[in-house]
Amino acid sequence: MGEFRAAVAIARKDLRIWLRYPINVAGQTFSPIYQSLVPAILFGATFFVDGRAVGLETSAGTGDLAGFVVLGALVSGMVGAAFWGIAWSLRTEMDAGTLEPTWLTPTRRDTFVLGRALGALATFAISEAVLLVIALWLFKPSFSPQAIQALPAIAIAGVSLLGVGYLLTAAVMFMKEAGFFIDTTNFLFSSASGVAFPVTALPALIQVVAYALPTTYALDLLRQHAIGSRPLFDPALEYVALAAAAIVTFPLGRMAFNAAERRLRVTGGLAQH
Amino acid sequence: MSLLAADARAFGAAARNQWRVARRYPAQWLSFFFWPILLPGVYVVMGSAMAAGDPRATDAFASRAGTGDVAGFVFVGWSMYMWLSNVLWGPAMAVRTDQLRGTLDAVFLTPSSRLVVLIGPSTYALVPAWINFVVMAVALRVIFGVELAPDALARAALVMAAGIPAMYGIGALVATVVLRVGEIGGVVQLVRGVFTLACGVAFPIVMLPDWARVVAHALPPTYVVADARAVLLAGADLAAIVPDLAMLGLLSAFVCMLAVWAFALVERGARRSGMLSRY
Repeated sequence: MGEFRAAVAIARKDLRIWLRYPINVAGQTFSPIYQSLVPAILFGATFFVDGRAVGLETSAGTGDLAGFVVLGALVSGMVGAAFWGIAWSLRTEMDAGTLEPTWLTPTRRDTFVLGRALGALATFAISEAVLLVIALWLFKPSFSPQAIQALPAIAIAGVSLLGVGYLLTAAVMFMKEAGFFIDTTNFLFSSASGVAFPVTALPALIQVVAYALPTTYALDLLRQHAIGSRPLFDPALEYVALAAAAIVTFPLGRMAFNAAERRLRVTGGLAQH
Repeated sequence: MSLLAADARAFGAAARNQWRVARRYPAQWLSFFFWPILLPGVYVVMGSAMAAGDPRATDAFASRAGTGDVAGFVFVGWSMYMWLSNVLWGPAMAVRTDQLRGTLDAVFLTPSSRLVVLIGPSTYALVPAWINFVVMAVALRVIFGVELAPDALARAALVMAAGIPAMYGIGALVATVVLRVGEIGGVVQLVRGVFTLACGVAFPIVMLPDWARVVAHALPPTYVVADARAVLLAGADLAAIVPDLAMLGLLSAFVCMLAVWAFALVERGARRSGMLSRY
């Protein structure tokens, strides 16, 4: 109970700090819209024939370009929350020199990561809600109410992403300059998950990587239910893959984080940046 | 030593200083080779999914974009965006860095021209900007087999150079906002977003509504992006883009004069309010 209270307190602190910089909040909330969502939709629309996305109908089994891209943006936001909200926020704590004092508290180390994850979830929910409202108003994608059936897939992918967040945190704790690493891995993870295009459009070698990512299946299931896109695999198999990813990444991530933390305590690296 | 010579020395010193700082973070230099390939690469893959081998879709793209070369269109657009972004970021970052270090008021007390303060440190950003351009050309050739003729590359380089005054002018305007509000991230993101949406970076500006196209034609980067595509992909010579370059020159002059006026105004206010030493 105490650990959960600590995690919630960390999340509330992160949310308060986030809300104290309204320009940054606006930037984080709206930049995915004008930097990614709108350009991607308008670029895709350049290929329209008589108002139809004939190419997307062939490659993904749906002509709803706006719906396809908006759902990808939502999952991209989830990935961003794991990469920036969890891993990077611990890095900023190291840079501020406050990691050692917080590590001295009786709270478990991985509770700090969990707290960051809860904070990232809150900021993600706010930003994505705004993105969804604006996207619905601007582009009018037609989402089926059956999209709700994909929520379990999203939740399971969230567990995997928490595991990935632990893994990344373990990595960034050793790096002096983690910004480039987080930026590029976030971009590659999202892109390979098919947020902007069907993963079948990727070169064969990269498709192998895409099929190893839990977000690929979560996004595919979400698109199947919401816009009727063609599934990559049998949905039951995709759920099995999602569950397997969660079972592997979550404990692996925690193990990596705990090992990294032990190593840094021994070497004195917690206070270095 | 004359004032101009003194300012020139200070300008060179500021540029050398920033270059030395940038050299200390080699990991950041990886991004100059990574992003020029990955960012447009995603759009090329998206383009192949949107076309899906259907000649009707490919023809539709060609009629709207002015070229059927999707990879060339995307790579040139994003290369120009990264170049513009690198140059734009410089003046604002110079002011913000000095604010955070607490050295802005000390720097402003020197007799150096404000051009030295704004532009001097950011000239090093021209190096990664040109690296982006070269990486784009090499990636197009090696990965997509798109050959860019050396004379076309030289003309594109001239177009980019012609856009430098406008970009520094816009950068100085952004630095003015930074000086006023003490915040950089959101402002630069917004300006970048406007460029992405309105300057034909990711999609042809014919896809924009009429009112947005009017705005697009008032932005200097629109001409840089369009002319770079014209010389690189359509083989246009300099004579064909002279009207655009003239418009770019006019807009550059306007933006730079506006930046000079706005910066002087905000600096006077910052001196009175003490904002120079606050952030």
